[in-house]
Amino acid sequence: MRLLEKRASMNARIDTVLTKFRSRVNSFPPGMCPLALYRSILQMSINQSCGKCVPCRDGLREADRLLGRILSGDAGENATAELRELCETIAATADCAVGVVAATTVLDSLTEFADEYESHIRDRRCVEPATQTVPCMTLCPAHVDVPAYIALVREGDYAGAIQVIRDRNPLPTACAMVCEHPCERKCRRSIIDDPINIRGLKKYAVDRVPADQVSAPKANVPTGKRIAVVGGGPSGLTAAWFLALMGHGVDLYEEHEKLGGMLRYGIPEYRLPKARLDEDIAAILKAGDIQVRCSFRVGRDASFEELRRTHDAVYLALGAQLGNRMPMEDADAPGVTTAAEFLQTVSREGMDLTGKKVVLIGGGNVAMDAARTAVRLGAETVHVFTRKRDDYTALDSEIRSAMQEGVRFRTLLSFLNIETDRESREVRAVWLQPEIVGTYDDQGFVTTEHSSAYPYRFQCDLLIMAVGQRSDTAHFAEAGLPTVRGRIGADESCRVPEWDGVFSGGDCVTGPSTAIRAIAAGQVAAFNIDEYLGYHHKIGCPASAPEARPSNFVRTGRAEIEERNPFERCRDFGHVECPMTEEEAAREAGRCLRCDFYGCGALEGGRF
Amino acid sequence: MISLTIDGKTVSVSEGTTVLEAAKTAGIDVPSLCYLKDVNALGSCRLCVVEAEGCDRPLPACRTRAAEGMRVETETPALAEYRRKMLRLILSNHRADCLGCPRNGACRLQSLCIRYGITESGMEGTRLDVEEKLPLLEDHPYLRYDPGKCLHCFRCVSACHRRAGNGALKNARSGVFHIVDAPFGPNWRETGCEACGNCAAACPTGALTLKTSRAYREWELTRVRTTCPHCATGCQLDLLVKDGKVVGAEAADGPSNGGRLCVKGRSGSFDFIHSPDRLTKPLIKNRETGEFREAEWEEAIAYAARRFMEIREKYGPEALAGFACSRSTNEDIYMVQKMVRTCFGSNNTDNCARVCHSATVAGLARTLGSGAMTNTIRDITREPDCILLVGSNPEEAHPVVGMQLREAVRRGARLIVVDPRNIGLAKSADIHLKLRPGTNVAFANGMMHVILEEGLEDKAFIRDCTEGFEALRELVRDYTPEKVGEICHIDPDMLREAARMYAKAEKAPIIYCLGVTEHSTGTEGVMSLSNLALLTGKLGKPGCGVNPLRGQNNVQGACDMGAQPGDLPGYQKVENEAVREKFEKAWGVKLNPKNGITATEVFPAAIRGEIRGLYICGEDPVVSDADTAHIIRALESLDFLVVQDLFLTRSAAYADVVLPAVSYAEKDGTFTNTERRVQRVRKAVALPGDMRPDTDILTDLMNAMGYPQKKLSSAEIMEEIASLTPSYAGISHARLDAGESLQWPCTGKDHPGTPIMHAGGPVRGRALLYPARFNPAAELPDEEYPFILSTGRILYQYNAAAMTSRAPGLQEIAGEGFIEMNWRDAERLAVKNGERVQVSSRRGTVTATARVGRKVSEGETWMPFHFPDSPVNRLTNAALDEFARIPEYKVCAVRVEKLP
Repeated sequence: MRLLEKRASMNARIDTVLTKFRSRVNSFPPGMCPLALYRSILQMSINQSCGKCVPCRDGLREADRLLGRILSGDAGENATAELRELCETIAATADCAVGVVAATTVLDSLTEFADEYESHIRDRRCVEPATQTVPCMTLCPAHVDVPAYIALVREGDYAGAIQVIRDRNPLPTACAMVCEHPCERKCRRSIIDDPINIRGLKKYAVDRVPADQVSAPKANVPTGKRIAVVGGGPSGLTAAWFLALMGHGVDLYEEHEKLGGMLRYGIPEYRLPKARLDEDIAAILKAGDIQVRCSFRVGRDASFEELRRTHDAVYLALGAQLGNRMPMEDADAPGVTTAAEFLQTVSREGMDLTGKKVVLIGGGNVAMDAARTAVRLGAETVHVFTRKRDDYTALDSEIRSAMQEGVRFRTLLSFLNIETDRESREVRAVWLQPEIVGTYDDQGFVTTEHSSAYPYRFQCDLLIMAVGQRSDTAHFAEAGLPTVRGRIGADESCRVPEWDGVFSGGDCVTGPSTAIRAIAAGQVAAFNIDEYLGYHHKIGCPASAPEARPSNFVRTGRAEIEERNPFERCRDFGHVECPMTEEEAAREAGRCLRCDFYGCGALEGGRF
Repeated sequence: MISLTIDGKTVSVSEGTTVLEAAKTAGIDVPSLCYLKDVNALGSCRLCVVEAEGCDRPLPACRTRAAEGMRVETETPALAEYRRKMLRLILSNHRADCLGCPRNGACRLQSLCIRYGITESGMEGTRLDVEEKLPLLEDHPYLRYDPGKCLHCFRCVSACHRRAGNGALKNARSGVFHIVDAPFGPNWRETGCEACGNCAAACPTGALTLKTSRAYREWELTRVRTTCPHCATGCQLDLLVKDGKVVGAEAADGPSNGGRLCVKGRSGSFDFIHSPDRLTKPLIKNRETGEFREAEWEEAIAYAARRFMEIREKYGPEALAGFACSRSTNEDIYMVQKMVRTCFGSNNTDNCARVCHSATVAGLARTLGSGAMTNTIRDITREPDCILLVGSNPEEAHPVVGMQLREAVRRGARLIVVDPRNIGLAKSADIHLKLRPGTNVAFANGMMHVILEEGLEDKAFIRDCTEGFEALRELVRDYTPEKVGEICHIDPDMLREAARMYAKAEKAPIIYCLGVTEHSTGTEGVMSLSNLALLTGKLGKPGCGVNPLRGQNNVQGACDMGAQPGDLPGYQKVENEAVREKFEKAWGVKLNPKNGITATEVFPAAIRGEIRGLYICGEDPVVSDADTAHIIRALESLDFLVVQDLFLTRSAAYADVVLPAVSYAEKDGTFTNTERRVQRVRKAVALPGDMRPDTDILTDLMNAMGYPQKKLSSAEIMEEIASLTPSYAGISHARLDAGESLQWPCTGKDHPGTPIMHAGGPVRGRALLYPARFNPAAELPDEEYPFILSTGRILYQYNAAAMTSRAPGLQEIAGEGFIEMNWRDAERLAVKNGERVQVSSRRGTVTATARVGRKVSEGETWMPFHFPDSPVNRLTNAALDEFARIPEYKVCAVRVEKLP
């Protein structure tokens, strides 16, 4: 009898195993040996071998044996050479991708982790530091004690939760609204079901208790030192907060009329209501001796040298607020703008796009902000064009929301040129070239090339280029400060090498990035400035993690934050996110596995 | 043609050729373990990887097609390094106990390791531990699988699937390990394995071996190329000779077998040669005591010659008859009929084709002008869109044809099986017409009725190449599918579909066998099939024709050689004066102008006292002919009987003189297979004893009877045959030994032979459409004998089993007689599967083990005729066909009873 594949066949049943397998992969904890992980890939490859060809069937096992020897400390001097030679042979001779890619993957490891191999062979151990850490805390750039504040939310102590957050990050409200939540990426809960909605719980806490009503830790007695912080964005505000709590005097210089940086002028109101941002800022300014000088531009109102002279240390947190324009004819024509410029203008003075056709080039989060803003300004159509799918670097949820609000997405179109009106020079259309996808480049991005289809004209009244932002570092460069491609050349500790007392961090060092990374930099800078000044000031946290409850391993769904009806929300700038309910927040917090207490979190005295 | 450069040499090959094969034509041996031409080109061992210009990866030569302008390097330092690494990996997972391995010296892995300088793996291996724990599979009588030596090259699995077309060897898995699921464990009987051993032949190492191969090592062997002595497929094989003994057989790449062999060819073609019960001295019977005594040749020959001449003197030449054997060589058979015609003075010579395919010879000669298979085995298994298989079970009776038919079906040819039983091929048939035994003529007439009714006939062919169309049209008008359905017990719609399918196919051969011929209306059955092919113009074309699968190895040759009462060699008619004159001139005697009588007529004639003396060369009619009791009565009635054989057969027991002859492995000669291909038989061994080649015995007998027959070698006899037989005129041992493969008609020294007959129009001129009316079988079931019994062959035995019963393995696989019954009948008789039952007909009674199932229809039974414990010919009916005098083996009425 002939049978089509049965539903309960082994393959269908294996699919459920693969789901479990993916969960394991997705939650792979930080601090583990990369070679052990490579060995898992190798063993997975062995499991995938059909057994037909010698290199894959027998060769991969031999490679596994060699790698196993390296990992178990039994390998000799030429172990990597042997492994490389074997894998090169397998890669060259295997019949299908199962074998070829298994071998090239091992070859990749030899390049990517040469140091790890060497350490294993020479010292029989991993490269330091090599201890497993709590995933959410590790992956939060600011290392916020996530399990602690989730536990506090669960216990209903929202102020305590905010205090725990502010121990590392003084902008809990802003982050509750806009953070990209890298903390959720490897949440151990995803072994069981799905990651904890960490940002959602933070939002629940600040929704319940406004941040400016939560008392800050008691600031230190004044140290008599004064620190200049240039830039009142998330990084500068964070540095100011910690420095002030340490007892240092802070002069905070802001070019714009209000504090907040991109949080205020870049992120649209519907994502982060400015009234809510003000709660964080108000709390920060209450921390200690912080003197704010808005509408103050260093280089205009005072020089960098002056600031250095008058302060014990300087922290440059300039941000990256200048939008890039593509270098092409008419890139400065009326009706052509950058996303940063557009968002700043809208946040300052508003805009009416009624009946206008808006075109966006670029697929990042800023592009989504601009697109969704344009929708709210009454644009007739909003089109986002990108060259390839990889260009959509925005969060999936942002893209999805934009689509719901009527933004139209087209990909595989490269932007050729701008057509303007001969008289007014105003933009009339863009010309687009259809593309086809090609191979991947060395960085792992897919490339495209022009397809044989003809370019076409696309009518537009407003062209927004969302193709990156840069910092305004000209004045500092002139003063001799090291810059790299327009960014300030500071190291990971925020020091600018060979410039005593000068620190820098955030977007002006890393290029445009997320708020939480800027916040992390502010934190690092503040503590390193304190160190630089010869102190080891501590800041106490008024709240602490409650006792861990027994873990709950019952598979339970993740409570998502819902957005308002897209047909309604696209007509106003009101906050799009719906609040979580108390029972949702309690259940969600109850899913937390308290990795700070269970598993590796208890090692070395506990806490991260 | 495609031109490419390999290692600097320019090679020209046809499109589709692989790089590996292209390299071979340039004399470059690209190493490989897993590659097996036409069977296994998977790229598994990766030893055949080569470098091609412009390609950044090495390519497996075995599965990369040559392309125009390609530049290939097969031996670079990098490739050698890859190969060494592959060999080391393979070796690390191979238990290299070469000293105890039967394949030592013949092992591919061994020779490649030597070629690339690998003496040890240097790797630990990962599979060996697991494989050592897997069971050694060696319960099978002939085959053995040792997982510890397996390279997992898949050659055996592919050979089973693609060479044997079977698929009993499968892939399996244990965790991450591939397993060869070899059917040689304790459950080997239930696996569908046909024991053909094509897998063992494909194994590059000692993992999958024939158990017999333990008896020899490669370097001890001499190989002698010869032709298989079983069925008429004519497989080419090499006998493996060690110390003067045949120890095995290997397939050769012959035109009809293409490197395949069946279980009988590989494992059943040599044990009997060295059987201890071989006759080694002539025997003479004391008529008083009935005891045999050993005698010297001079005495035996003189005695036999004297007695025959006395009978001729007393009763005349017509009282003597001599049977040739369709198992012996053309040269032997020629000499038998020459002896009968020159010394006995009668034309009473025949051979056992009489009881298998005489209906074919008679029928096709009458309709087409030549009574032989029209096309070649390769042609009817490679070319067709549709195959009409009637009354033939090639998987068992012509296994190597069966393998190729399975392949054809796998490649997508449609298959119509017309057979009363659910034979193996019925499973993969598009249509199985499970007709009632004895209704072939009605079936064929029904097919023709539909073809004419629906206008599917080939009008031009009928007009230009046939005669008798109107009469045929008139006759088949009555055979509506509904009427035929009732006669044959088949669904009229299925008949209609079969007719359309066959008629509309561009290339469709009719393949048939004894299910058509062995009837009292056998010749009409054959002619009806011939009608069907003619009506649709499927004659003289590739992939078409009327193709009888002849029974025994040389049954075609036996008829060709004139061992027939009405035909001199090459079907030259005895009644034709000019023909007789030619032979009289050549043989130097006056020939009897009167046709002789057939073998089946000789026995009643003997009972009547008309035949007094009989010479039987190698046949065993007591076992193989219908109605044993009547055969025995006939033999007992004879005044004098000489039997020439290898063994003291049941027929020989009735002889006055028994002459010990030699087997096919001990003599030279030729066999003509079913596709008219004349192939060499070569002497491989000489055994101790007084046995002599048949031709020498016959020469002595002829001289003793007063005919001056010069002693000739086998090759010289073939020269004499060629000189007198137009269709063999171009055939000689020298040409065959030089590598030519010749199919008659081969009319001259430069004639290449004739693969497809009637290509230039029917040999007869206009082919005859013979209107045959359906007549029921001679003996139909009634209340007393309610079942139809058909008889036939099984895969593991051959005919009277003189050869196969001396192969212990074959006996172990299938050594017992049985009767197939329908489960409903069995239920009614309260007979259980495996129970012994008594089967009786009007002529006798036997017992057999019941095999109960759905293979035969209700009211029908089937028995093989090989087994002495169930001698089924005691039951069969010697009702003879009008034209060919063939007995009705396929239908007689029997009663089945539970044994008390």
